[in-house]
Amino acid sequence: MPGFDAVIGFLYQFGDAAAFLVLCASGLAIIFGMMGVINLAHGEFIMGGAYTTVTVAKLGVPLPLAVLCGALAAGAAGMVLERLVIRHLYGRPLDTIVATWGVSLIASQGTLILLGPSLSDISTPLGSVEIGALSYSVYRFVLMGVAAAILLGLYVLFNFTRFGVLARATIQVPHMAETLGVDTRLIYSLTFGIGAALAGATGGLYAPTMTLVPTMGVQFITEAFVTVVVGGGDVFLGTAPAGIVLGFIKSGMTTWEGQLAGQIGLLVAVILVIRVLPRGISGLMLRERA
Amino acid sequence: MALLMPMAAHAADPIKLGVLEDQSGDFALATIGKVHGIQLATDEINAAGGIAGRKLDLVIYDTQSDNTRYQEFMRRVLQRDKVDAVFAGFSSASREAYRPIVDQLNGLAFYNNQYEGGVCDAHMIVTGAVPEQQFSTLIPWMMEKFGKKIYTIAADYNFGQISAEWVRNIVKQNGGEMVGEEFIPLGVSQFSSTIQNIQKAKPDILMTLLVGTAQSSYYEQANAANLHVPMGSSVNVGQAYEHKRFKPPSLANMYVTTNWIEEVDNPASKAFVARWHAKFPNEPYINQEAENSYLAVYLYKEMVERAKGSTKRDDLRAVIAKGDVCFDAPEGKVCIDPKSQHMSHTIYLAKVNDDHSISFPKVWPDVKPYWLGDSGCDLTKKNPNAQYTPSNPPPKS
Amino acid sequence: MRFLRRLEGPQTLGRGPGFWGIAALAVALAAAYPLLTDAYTVGNTIYFFDWVFMALGLCLIWGYGGALSFGQTAFFGLSGYAYGVVTLDFGADHGLTLVATLLAVAASALFAAVLGYFLFFGRIGGVFLGIVTLAVTLVFERFMAQTAGPEWHVGAARLNGFNGMSGMPPLTVPWPGDDLVLSPDVPLYYVTLALLVVTYLGLRLLVNSSFGNVIVAIRENPHRATMLGYDVRKYQLATFVIGSALAGLSGVLYTSWGQYITPSSMGLTAAALPIIWVAVGGRGDLTTTLVGTLLLLGAFQFLTIYGSQYALVAMGLLLVVTVLLTPDGLVTALFRLPRRLGRRRPRAADAVDPGREAA
Repeated sequence: MPGFDAVIGFLYQFGDAAAFLVLCASGLAIIFGMMGVINLAHGEFIMGGAYTTVTVAKLGVPLPLAVLCGALAAGAAGMVLERLVIRHLYGRPLDTIVATWGVSLIASQGTLILLGPSLSDISTPLGSVEIGALSYSVYRFVLMGVAAAILLGLYVLFNFTRFGVLARATIQVPHMAETLGVDTRLIYSLTFGIGAALAGATGGLYAPTMTLVPTMGVQFITEAFVTVVVGGGDVFLGTAPAGIVLGFIKSGMTTWEGQLAGQIGLLVAVILVIRVLPRGISGLMLRERA
Repeated sequence: MALLMPMAAHAADPIKLGVLEDQSGDFALATIGKVHGIQLATDEINAAGGIAGRKLDLVIYDTQSDNTRYQEFMRRVLQRDKVDAVFAGFSSASREAYRPIVDQLNGLAFYNNQYEGGVCDAHMIVTGAVPEQQFSTLIPWMMEKFGKKIYTIAADYNFGQISAEWVRNIVKQNGGEMVGEEFIPLGVSQFSSTIQNIQKAKPDILMTLLVGTAQSSYYEQANAANLHVPMGSSVNVGQAYEHKRFKPPSLANMYVTTNWIEEVDNPASKAFVARWHAKFPNEPYINQEAENSYLAVYLYKEMVERAKGSTKRDDLRAVIAKGDVCFDAPEGKVCIDPKSQHMSHTIYLAKVNDDHSISFPKVWPDVKPYWLGDSGCDLTKKNPNAQYTPSNPPPKS
Repeated sequence: MRFLRRLEGPQTLGRGPGFWGIAALAVALAAAYPLLTDAYTVGNTIYFFDWVFMALGLCLIWGYGGALSFGQTAFFGLSGYAYGVVTLDFGADHGLTLVATLLAVAASALFAAVLGYFLFFGRIGGVFLGIVTLAVTLVFERFMAQTAGPEWHVGAARLNGFNGMSGMPPLTVPWPGDDLVLSPDVPLYYVTLALLVVTYLGLRLLVNSSFGNVIVAIRENPHRATMLGYDVRKYQLATFVIGSALAGLSGVLYTSWGQYITPSSMGLTAAALPIIWVAVGGRGDLTTTLVGTLLLLGAFQFLTIYGSQYALVAMGLLLVVTVLLTPDGLVTALFRLPRRLGRRRPRAADAVDPGREAA
């Protein structure tokens, strides 16, 4: 049944592309959308998460736990970075470009000096499954599930927990939150840490499928920025629909005309979306709601 | 300032060699070993008394995988450091970036890298292997063994496109059929759609001409999707030692033609690896470009000595024009072809086994870089300073 | 002469005989420099000068106009390729390279006008402007990178994909007898230096004119500027076109200097560099941008030569520390040092915080 195969094949590619975009972008979206910080070191947090995950997994720790370690390590690094550098740059979002670019240079070259030009990898778990005439990597289905779970988790975290309420209060009217006794510095620090931890988790999740090199973060960053811009400032209202729309465009264009068309289609989509919706998808939704 | 320079270098002055390689950035993985190869050869030559009584002196810059750094430092080594020859470049883009400067300043550069072929430039000596050496051996052998349906995935830039053109031509000459051809932009790391396309086309042989660390994620992803077609490549294993870095069996059943890798099993090669590890004990892998860089220094020595100690480019080229500048390298005997200033090589067919060990089912000695010379590039007569491709050959005169 | 009084004013640092004395001395030193140094340094200094035009253009767009363009390299690359195509197709005789230069810069200006029309008349601002322009330069890079095949050519000029286009002639000036070929040597040095001085002075005149006052007013408060009756979009568009034409000029000069242009000149790393030069130097002023760009280019090259593998780490540290310690830029801070007690300019307001905007 070639028709059936084609449909399943396309759905798989679409899910795969959307999961990649959502995972790439969620950490960046929190840091950029909620704090106004443009984090060019996002890719290096992903790299850090991947390196930690692989190192821990090689010690015999099961992969899910290893990914968690990667996320925690990246999150801790993120909080340290926030404390040392980012904290001094709130209100100067454009200067964060320069500072985080500097951090990214230090992180990738530092990794090269300390750990050498590459790390031997671990293989993709779970094997493959045959559907129709084609076979698929099972791990890719897991990635799609994890992407959905992470979005759901963030939604719960920021909407139904005390931390979430305080964080949103701090981000909307910082001085008011402070007057009410919220430790806003801690909130900023934690929010940045969560963003970094998500990047680390992304790195950990993709680590078994990729080559581990100090510059691997660059492979994520364009897609991450594209998704965040199309999604707009709000992680929950924006990132998920943006991932789905862009995933559809990318996999559609790739199936139709090859990988280059997929890549260029993605970038052209951004330009068009911004022309129509300068504040991204979430901007549109918020306007409708208001 | 020029007046202060002595007209001819004293015999005791060292011969200066410039080295421009990417010791940081994207390409560092494959190129740090190239610098080590040059250092090892230099130490050995100096310990044995130098070249024509003169010591070798290296001027090394880190080009950071950045084309503009090649432009800056090529000027610097030629104009400021006044080196006698330069050993430079990993990516073809970096070579094309510095080539106009070498031509402009009348220098001599060695490009010690396997590449897409076609550079016909009197200022350049290429010690790496070229497509006709790697594909005219690999593809007929694989077609005989596995079948005649070929699918190519290649990096979407000059190396990939030109190599794919070679594959296409050689497949056709041998009565095979191309069942698919896909070009992947550099930096793409997600391959689900490519893997599906290959599965649908059901080829007997998959040629993987992927480049860069992002694209090398393909193998693990294909393996996870249970795609196990015999693979052929001119670029994997020999350059970025994927068989050592990737978990088996993602590269299993891959066949690569290379002019040398660490596993090559002959006495000269074993001794070379031992010397290397004595000097650089932490080297993760010695790749073919490292050996190319090593043998380039010895070729330079051979040329200078035969030119009676002169390091002038014209004198060296007069030596090359005789057609018998050779060196017994770790891979076997290599010689410079005077028409194209490329090298003949021993080509090893490396097979990656299930546990990622390497075996060599076949060896072709003394494979010549015939294409440029046959199609009209003759540097002994004319210097066009150009790069040609099979679909854009030298103009027939 | 009233016109020349605009060389100094509220929008530029540096005034009075002291400043102009130092400036004249700097130009004199720069003019004498080739006599004191070797051919390498001359060629290398030209290369540094080549980038400054793009930095000055970005300073105008971002520092004065308040619109961060992350994609100036798109114009750099467009003009570089345009120069290559025109010269490879029509040759270099009879001063054709100068015509090619004009055409290439005009191509950038035209493209900037079209793109800017969509951006500014679509009211895109702040960080989003940066990301759209970045997407544009990345599209250019990816597109050019896949033009390796022989089918991609304009006339006789092969685009040649990721490996880049090479073989275009250097700039030439028609000269009685034989054309003067400006390969990277002393004559090209003086031509580039003269261009740089003229551009710098021209931009000073521009930003101190009423046009300059309006674009600064827009940066400080676009709503107020609109209320005062200015069409904000037209002023922003004009600034963008001028700044992008300068990026194009940089592209032409770079391409003719190295006889080479590559898609990676439009990639992410390349696109970030002008922002870093301008931010570290001090984006609020032309002089600090000029000095800062040259200092950073020199410092990065120095680190690469002497810092071995630590060069990139040191560069990163330099950027982080500079941003933390001198919010208005390193050179701006140095500039203010001698006259701390003097008048303080208000800090350049940053673009609106997008997070807050969306919330």
